[in-house]
Amino acid sequence: MNKVLLGIVLGAVLGIFDGLTAWFTPEVRNQIVGIVIGSTVKGIIAGVLIGWFARKVNSLAWGIVFGLSVGLFLAFIIAQLQHGHYFAIMLPGGMVGLIVGYATQRYGVSSKLQRV
Amino acid sequence: MKWLSDETLTRLQASVQCPDLSSTRYRALKFVARGGMGAVWLAEDVVLHRRVALKVLDVEDRTGELASRLEREALVLAHLEHPGIVPVHDAGTLPDGRVFYCMKYVEGQTLESYIVNTNLPQRLGLAQRIAEPLAFAHSKGIVHRDLKPGNIMIGAFGEVLIMDWGLAKITNSTIQESSHITSAGTPGEQTGFATAAPITSHGKILGTPGYMSPEQARGDSAAMDERSDIFSLGAILRFMLTGQSPEETPTTAPLPKPLNAICQKAMAPEISERYASIQEMSADISQYLEGVPISAYREGIVERGMRLLERHRVAVVLVLAYIAMRVLFILFSHR
Amino acid sequence: MEAQGGTFPATRFSVIAAAKSSDPAERSRAMNALISAYWKPVYKYVRLRWGLDADEAQDFTQDFFTRLIEKEFLDSYDPAKGHLRTFLRTCVDRLFLNQSRDALRQKRGSGAVHVSLDFEEAERELGQCVRSGSLEDYFDKEWVRSLFALAVMRLRSRCEEAGKMLHFELFERYDLDDSDAKISYVQLAAEFHLAVTDVTNYLAFARREFRRSVLDQLHEMTGNEEEFHREAQALLGVSAKSK
Repeated sequence: MNKVLLGIVLGAVLGIFDGLTAWFTPEVRNQIVGIVIGSTVKGIIAGVLIGWFARKVNSLAWGIVFGLSVGLFLAFIIAQLQHGHYFAIMLPGGMVGLIVGYATQRYGVSSKLQRV
Repeated sequence: MKWLSDETLTRLQASVQCPDLSSTRYRALKFVARGGMGAVWLAEDVVLHRRVALKVLDVEDRTGELASRLEREALVLAHLEHPGIVPVHDAGTLPDGRVFYCMKYVEGQTLESYIVNTNLPQRLGLAQRIAEPLAFAHSKGIVHRDLKPGNIMIGAFGEVLIMDWGLAKITNSTIQESSHITSAGTPGEQTGFATAAPITSHGKILGTPGYMSPEQARGDSAAMDERSDIFSLGAILRFMLTGQSPEETPTTAPLPKPLNAICQKAMAPEISERYASIQEMSADISQYLEGVPISAYREGIVERGMRLLERHRVAVVLVLAYIAMRVLFILFSHR
Repeated sequence: MEAQGGTFPATRFSVIAAAKSSDPAERSRAMNALISAYWKPVYKYVRLRWGLDADEAQDFTQDFFTRLIEKEFLDSYDPAKGHLRTFLRTCVDRLFLNQSRDALRQKRGSGAVHVSLDFEEAERELGQCVRSGSLEDYFDKEWVRSLFALAVMRLRSRCEEAGKMLHFELFERYDLDDSDAKISYVQLAAEFHLAVTDVTNYLAFARREFRRSVLDQLHEMTGNEEEFHREAQALLGVSAKSK
């Protein structure tokens, strides 16, 4: 699987999972669909950016750093929109970015190799 | 009868042993090692100003059998041009009547001493590098038949060289077994090798105990093929992984099951049960190093899970950490 | 049988074969060759191994070779089972154990040994040897010493016949010299009024012929080609170990 596609898939899966965990918060349970959609879109956007970076830069360390940064940044935007809960939103968001960053570097296949 | 002192005796013995290189392009430097049919000398090629190794028969071979064997060895090496096989430069008969050939002088260590400071992945990588020149030789129809740690040298830059092809079996009929090679003497002299009769080894046991295949141990030359070398490579692999020769009682911890399976398949008593080729065996070693299933070993579900866990342990840890973090958030948010 | 790169006797002489010959002259030649090669090792061996004094050892040595001829000990020698020198050493031990010292004295003067045995020379050499290792190794080393000494004599004869005594003298001066100060090729050239390149070439010739003499001597002491190769390897192996 190429790196961008892998990033999209992982970002989407983790985004869905992330969104579903909102079910454990009764106050927002009735907004679960919107949360899941939003979280999935955030995961896909992160996956595209991180996957694109992995295509350009072949470095596990930099992939992790970039992934973490993108995850934290996008989570920050969400937290701003939520007017708070920065820690509860940014920490999981950062971790998702970190995981996607690691996976695209470790398991993603360069599209140049695929063409060969 | 003149009394010869110990010092004189030693000097004379050295003189008798030393090959007569007069009227050749070589100058003897020092004795290196003694083999089954002759000695190896470090010499200098005075034309090209480089060090070479000369393998010289101990004595003039009046029956032709030893000369034939040395000639075969030189011919085999001449047909195996591969970075992992010691190259031969010259061959002929010395002025004192002894048959010889000249090859690259390899400076390095034998496999036994080299592996002392290596870890498991390095040893497996080394096994793959040993397999490469062997696979090449097999593709040329040549079986080594005397593979053992002592015949594998590791050069100064980590290059692997397979030595001592004196017992090689030539299954390729296109390789000529007779040749007239101009001697190392003055140009125009034709004192080369005589036409050599094929060496018959059926019934004769040639090889090294512990590393030779069962068919070789019973002297069944007709049954010996590339898979005999696979047996030997399996024994060498086991030696590299355990540090113990095949004849020693195992005292080290048992090998991981996949590696043990690779050794067992390579060393199967029945020829048909061994790997069909060196490449197959090397592929299994590669796959083991990559953490993927190997052909020689069927793993159970638990083993498969553990292997996948081991192979992807970083990803697993990250995901588990994420899940744990999520769980903790959920738990603390309810307090 | 003609070897490559050199000349060899048309008929291979072997003491083992000749000792069993019906021709008395052949048998005598064989025994003399055998005695020449082995009497000193046997003498020195029994002096050290069984603690015999010079007279007793002298008697024993004479007696041993007499019995070797009369009792045809060599008939039971099988080259496939071991070296000739090991066989003879075992015969020496067996003979000693089967006889008392008094019985030895009574045998003095008997026998058909026709080779001149200079026991005084052997006794002097015994004093000069530095023994290390087992007595078996000592016996083997003395056998090598005898073999090489005989080869030197053979080389001298060959050089005389070929009119190359100068070659032998150079060899004797350079390779057989025991003095602490090793003479150089330049000094040899000056001493013999030769060019240095001539010294190099003559010595190379002499060494080549010496090697041939050693191997010819060894050939005589063995029964077949296989044994010869084995002995040659053992001989060269001794030199390899000493490196």
